[in-house]
Amino acid sequence: MKQNFLFQASNISKYYGQNIGCKNVSLDINPGEVLGIVGESGSGKSTLLNCIYGNLEVDEGDIFLNDKSKTILNFTKISEPKLRLIQRSDLAFVHQNPRDGLRMNISAGGNIGERLMAIGHRNYGEIREIAANWLEKVEIDVSRIDDKPSTFSGGMQQRLQIARNLVTRPRLIFMDEPTGGLDVSVQAKILDLLRNLVRELGIAAVIVTHDLAVVRLLADRIIVMQNGNVIEAGLCDQVLDDPQHKYSQLLVSSVLQV
Amino acid sequence: MNEMSKNENLDIQIYNFAYLDENTKRMIRRALLKALCIPGYQVPFSSREMPMPYGWGTGGIQVTSACLIPKDILKVIDQGADDTTNAVSIRKFFQKTANVTVTEKTSDASLIQTRHRIPETKLKEKQILVYQVPIPEPLRFLEPRETETRKMHALSEYGLMYVKLYEDIAKHGHIETAYAYPVKTNGNYVTDPSPIPKFDNPKMNNSPAIQLFGAGREQRIYAIPPYTNVKSLDFEDYPFEAMKANFKCSICGSSDSYLDEIIVSDDGKRSYICSDTDYCKEQTKLNSKKED
Repeated sequence: MKQNFLFQASNISKYYGQNIGCKNVSLDINPGEVLGIVGESGSGKSTLLNCIYGNLEVDEGDIFLNDKSKTILNFTKISEPKLRLIQRSDLAFVHQNPRDGLRMNISAGGNIGERLMAIGHRNYGEIREIAANWLEKVEIDVSRIDDKPSTFSGGMQQRLQIARNLVTRPRLIFMDEPTGGLDVSVQAKILDLLRNLVRELGIAAVIVTHDLAVVRLLADRIIVMQNGNVIEAGLCDQVLDDPQHKYSQLLVSSVLQV
Repeated sequence: MNEMSKNENLDIQIYNFAYLDENTKRMIRRALLKALCIPGYQVPFSSREMPMPYGWGTGGIQVTSACLIPKDILKVIDQGADDTTNAVSIRKFFQKTANVTVTEKTSDASLIQTRHRIPETKLKEKQILVYQVPIPEPLRFLEPRETETRKMHALSEYGLMYVKLYEDIAKHGHIETAYAYPVKTNGNYVTDPSPIPKFDNPKMNNSPAIQLFGAGREQRIYAIPPYTNVKSLDFEDYPFEAMKANFKCSICGSSDSYLDEIIVSDDGKRSYICSDTDYCKEQTKLNSKKED
């Protein structure tokens, strides 16, 4: 096992009864690296993401995280309290629908502050200042800090969700279709923002998407999935420019050219 | 076991001592013991139908019923007062079914059932304070899933509780929550003190009396044993403040007891009086003695 990896999953399998969620998937992520997972609907992308985040229990395989103190933790072995603690400190999860990842009846500031308060911040002034800083970072007007996310546009909600997740400086962020359901100009804005934040803060990321443009823009490496299996993996440009597997070729060639 | 014989002087000998049957009382006592062992933990119990509607203190009554012994002296208060509907009906209920002595004097009572107040007179050892609780789960309106709130308690994930206080300050400039103000019991479980005003919160801390909480509809019992640390949640820069209306009682003149605001005329004239009627009486007596 390499010692400088951040995150490693080996031979993960998840079954839904007779059906395969994902099968024998291995991947590793280095600090600061962005990994894209692409594939059609139902190919097991989201299942895989939820498995490696620890939301779904895996049937086979191991998941390792090299935590801040350089201890290697196995997600399939550690206790639930420990896992939940890691999920809200070292890791983060951005949902496709911001409504799943935000508390809609709590102000923007409260949404950002929640993770801080969860890890023990108890100073209102400080929490508010950090929240305001983060709103600025994700290009939401600071004057909206006390407004509820339900009054925000879809793009703003998504940016707020990103801020809420990044506020505790996680080292690895999981994103499930972060730009799905947004119109193209808003998508571009969010991708731009994500790219800057991920590079600036040196956060590693796993991005699940069916949009090849998203991975082209953000990812260093990608894996292509079909029917729960990884059929191709490699450097992003390499896979997208010279796909080897039949399905990858189909995927790449089906992108609309304008 | 059967204490029926003690009820001989009752007209109708239908009910067991203190209404509930012995097995039910035993079940509730078991829950109470567990609750006392794990301060602040909500113990599920199989709440019974009581001869009054939910919201009238069915949880408190069941706890009282399980604790009551014939030589107990019972006091019942509702919002601090001995003479309001809820207090009167519950007091009568136990007079009828348990034939216990009742009192209005806090210091004489061995068991006090309360709705929404803690008496002003300092409680002492060997007294039991039974709270009627509408919603035992402090996280209920923040996280609707019971499975999730239980997990949050088990793992002491209380960030969300602070989000509520954060929202208060963001909206009102101070912590607006004025009743049912969340506390941390014994440095562990976040507990709902029932809808008592936050003015009463400090009285819960290190109290010599046993504090029992019963929620009938929600089927939960929890407890704070004597001399337990009870801390109201707050922020470093917005510390907890026990507050009350800044007036004097217009009957007894007390300025340190919790006051009720009463509108006394059509043009909105207000008057403030002690919510604790027993305390008010005591103070009035003391005042007239001083004048003599």
